[in-house]
Amino acid sequence: MTKKRLGLITAVSLAVALILTFAAVGCGESNDQPVEPDEPKLSGTLDLSGSTTVLPLAQEAADMFMDENPDVTVNVQGGGSSVGISNVAEGVVDIGNASRGLKDEEKGLGLEDHEIALDVIVVIVHGDVPVEDLTADQVFDIFTGKVTNWKDVGGPDQAINVVVRDEASGTREMFDEKALKKEAPLAGAIETNSNGIMRQTVSSTPFSIGYISLGYLDSSVKAVKYDGVEGSKETAVDKTYPLSRYLHMFTEGEATGLAEAFIAFVLSDNFQDEVVSEEYIPMTEI
Amino acid sequence: MQGVIDREWIVKKTLFTLAMITVLGIVLLIFFVARESIPAFTEAGPVNLFSATWNPGNGQYGMLVFLTGTLATTAGGLLLGTPLAIGSALFLTQMAPRRARSIMTRGVELLAGVPSIVLGWLGFTIMVPWIRSATGSTGTGILAASIILAIMVIPTITTISKDALEAVPESHLQAAYAMGATRWQTIRRVLLPAAKPGLLVAVILGMGRAIGETMAVALVIGPASVFPKSLTSPTHTLTTKILIEMGESTGVQRSSLFAMGLVLLLLSMLLILLVRLVSRQKETMR
Amino acid sequence: MSTDLKTGVEIARPSVEVVGDLCEFKDSRIEGIIQQSIARNEKRAHFYDRVATVTVWTLSIIGLGILAFIIFVILYRGIATALTPGFIFGKPQALKEGGGIWPMIVSSFYLALLTIAIVLPLGVGAAVYLTEFSREGRITRLVRFGADSLSTVPSVVFGIFGMVLFVIYFGLGYSLLAGAFTLALLNMPTVMRTTEEAIKAVPHSYREACLSLGASRWETAKKIVLPSAMPGITTGVVLTVGRIVGESAAVLYTVGLFVRKVPVSPLQPAAPMAANIWHMYTEGALVSDWMRVANGEAAFLLLVVLVLNLGARLIARIYQKRLGMVS
Repeated sequence: MTKKRLGLITAVSLAVALILTFAAVGCGESNDQPVEPDEPKLSGTLDLSGSTTVLPLAQEAADMFMDENPDVTVNVQGGGSSVGISNVAEGVVDIGNASRGLKDEEKGLGLEDHEIALDVIVVIVHGDVPVEDLTADQVFDIFTGKVTNWKDVGGPDQAINVVVRDEASGTREMFDEKALKKEAPLAGAIETNSNGIMRQTVSSTPFSIGYISLGYLDSSVKAVKYDGVEGSKETAVDKTYPLSRYLHMFTEGEATGLAEAFIAFVLSDNFQDEVVSEEYIPMTEI
Repeated sequence: MQGVIDREWIVKKTLFTLAMITVLGIVLLIFFVARESIPAFTEAGPVNLFSATWNPGNGQYGMLVFLTGTLATTAGGLLLGTPLAIGSALFLTQMAPRRARSIMTRGVELLAGVPSIVLGWLGFTIMVPWIRSATGSTGTGILAASIILAIMVIPTITTISKDALEAVPESHLQAAYAMGATRWQTIRRVLLPAAKPGLLVAVILGMGRAIGETMAVALVIGPASVFPKSLTSPTHTLTTKILIEMGESTGVQRSSLFAMGLVLLLLSMLLILLVRLVSRQKETMR
Repeated sequence: MSTDLKTGVEIARPSVEVVGDLCEFKDSRIEGIIQQSIARNEKRAHFYDRVATVTVWTLSIIGLGILAFIIFVILYRGIATALTPGFIFGKPQALKEGGGIWPMIVSSFYLALLTIAIVLPLGVGAAVYLTEFSREGRITRLVRFGADSLSTVPSVVFGIFGMVLFVIYFGLGYSLLAGAFTLALLNMPTVMRTTEEAIKAVPHSYREACLSLGASRWETAKKIVLPSAMPGITTGVVLTVGRIVGESAAVLYTVGLFVRKVPVSPLQPAAPMAANIWHMYTEGALVSDWMRVANGEAAFLLLVVLVLNLGARLIARIYQKRLGMVS
C-alpha cells in the first residue's frame, strides 16, 4: 500500500518536474509554427501591451504578422493605455498601445508616436428621443448639466438621462476635451466602462444620451448630428466632424527591428484597408 | 548517524522556510501596495484621499464614495444572505432528513464553486434587466450588487455556521429534548446561544468575502463615481474602482487606487483580528 | 410535569411555583386553570415550532432554488446558443463573428497546472512543518496568522500586487508565470489548511509505530504521514484547480484577457476563460455575437468547475473505500 502511495507522490513530483522543464524549455524557444524556411528573414519575440480598445486590432495584426513570419512570436496584452505607455517606457514591452495621446507627465519619456487608426465618436440617444440634431453648445449644456430637460433642446418634456464613459476611458478623455472644453460632465451621470455597455445602457434607458465609437454603432440606438454634421468616415476625413481621436502605438525612441516591421505591417495598405477599415477609419484615407 | 541528524535539520529548516512564505507573502503584499500608494499620501494627502469627490482631472482623489459603496453593498449582501445561510445551516444540522441533507451539502459546495465572473455575468444579463423593468432605473447599483453578494456569502456563512452548530455538544440538545422542549425551543434557547460566537465568526468571514468581491459586483454596480441617489442608481465600490481604472491611470491617480487597495487590506486584516477576538472569547466561555 | 415546564416555556414559570404551593390543597379549580395554561403554552410552543420548521425549510429551498436557477440558466443558454465543437475548439475572433474559445480553455488549464506546481510544494511543506516539525507556539501562530491574512485579501488586491511585483518588478511581463506566482500565493492558505486537516486525520499510532522503529521524523512524514494523507491532499488540489480556473480579478492584470493563439511558453501572455468573459463584457461588442461567446464561455467554465467539484468528491470516496478495506 505504502509503495502505491509513494508511487503517487513520485508521479506528482514528476509532473511538477515535467512542467518546470517544460517551462524552462518554453521560455527558450517557442516555435510551434510549421516552419516554412523559404525566406526566414524575421525571427524573435515582440511584446505589446496597453489599451484594451486597441487590443482586438493589435491581436488581429499579430496573428496575420505571425502567419507571414513563422519564426516570430508576437504577444499582445491589454492592461490599459497608461499601462502600455509606462511598460514601453520601462522596457517591459516593445510597443505600448494607447487609445489616447501622451499626457503632459508622459511627454518626457522619449516615446515615438505611431498613429494607426482614427476613431470617430458619435453622440447617440435612446430611440424614443425625437431630436435629430444637436448644436455643439447644446451638447455641452446637456453633458455639463446646464440643460436637464429635453424640451430645452427641442424635445418632449422629459428629464435627460446622461450617460458618459468612465474616467479611465480614452473616449471620455477625448469627449471631455473636444465637446466639453475640458469641463467635467455633470456628477450624476451614469458611467459605463465600455462601448458595448454604453450602447446597451443608452438603448435600454428611456430619454438617455451618450456617445460611442462609430464601429459600435448599430440600430439599437440613434445617432444624432453634431452641429449639423453627421459623424461618419467621410466627415471625419474631410475634418468637418470634430469628434475623433487617433489610436496609437508607442515605441521607445525610433522603432527598430521587429517593432519597426510590425508597425509597418499595421500601417500597410493591406492591413489598413482589410482590417482597420471594418471598425475605424484607416490611416490610408486620411 | 551524523548524516541523519544533518538531513533532519536541513529538512526542518526547509519546511520552516516554506511555512514562513505565508508570512513573507502578506508582508510583501502590504509592502508593495503601501509603497505604490505613497505618492497619493504625500502629493494628495490623507484629507484629499478620504474626501467625497473623485475628480482626478481636478486633483481630487476622494475615496469616500467607493468606501460607502463597499460598506453599503456588504451590508446589503449580509442582510439578504445571512438569514438564508443560517437557515440552511439549521436545516442541515437539525431538520433535514438524510437524503435532503446530502443534497443540501452538495448544493452549498457547488454554490461555493461558481466563479464570481459567471455569477456577475448572470446578474448583468438577467437580474439587471429585471430590476430595470421593475423600477424604471438603469437596474444597476447597490440593490443588484447586494443580491449578488448575498448569493456569494451563503456558502461561506452556511459552512462555518454549520460547523459552529455541530460543535454544540449533543448532550445539551438531548437534555432540552428530554425535558419536553420542542425542536424550535431547543434551537432558540439552547443551540443558538451556545453557537453564537461561531455564528458571529461565520458572518464576519462572510463580510470579508463580500468586501473583497470584485468581478461579480463590477458587472452590476453601475458604475458611477458618485454617491447613489437610490438603491438602484449606479455607484462604485473600492474593488470595482481599482479594477476598472488601474489600467488607464497614471501618477497620483494610479497611486490613489493603490491607496484604496491598502484600505481594503486593512479592512480585511481588521476582520481577521475580529475573528480572533471572538474565537478567544468563545474559548474562555467554555 | 413541572420540570418540563421550567425548561420549556418561559411564560409558564410562575404557574410552576403556584403548582408547588398549591399541591397540598388539591384545589381542582386552580389545577384546572393551571392545566389549561399549560396546554395553551404547549399549543403555542408547538405552533412556533411548526412555523420555525416551515421557515427553515423554505429558506433552504430558496437557497437551493437559487443554485438550481444559476446552473440551469447558465448551462441552458450556453448549450442552446454556443457550445458546439466548432466553438470549443475554434479560434477567437476580434473583429469578426463566429469566434471560438480554444486558446482560453488551454490558458485556464495551463495556468492551473503552473499554479499547482508552485503552490503544492509550498502548501504541503508548510502543513508538514506545522503538524510534524513544530509545537504550537509563537511561530505556528505567526504562520497561521499569515495564512489567515492571505486568505482574506481581496483577489483584486492580489492582482495589482502581482502586477507590481511579478509583472513589472521581476520583469515577467503579462505572462502565465506571473499569474501562477500570484495565484500560488492566493491559494497557499487553502492548500496548507486542507493538507493540515488531512495530516491530522492520520492516526497517531501510525506515526508512533514508525518512530519507535527508529525512523526519523522526516522519514515518518515521507513514508507514513503523507501517503496516508494523500486522499485529503488530492481532494484539496482538485478543488484548488476549480478556484484557479474561476479566478478572474487576480488574473486580469497579471496574465491577460484576450489572445488568439494557444499559449506555448509560460512567459507568454494568455487569456483564461474567466478573464476573457470580462474582456467580452468591456470590449467584446466590436463583434455582434459577443453575447453568444460570453454565454458559451460562462457555460463551459461552469461545467468545468462542476466537474472538478464532483471529481474531488469522487476521489475522496474512492480513497475512503480503499482505506476502509485496508484498516
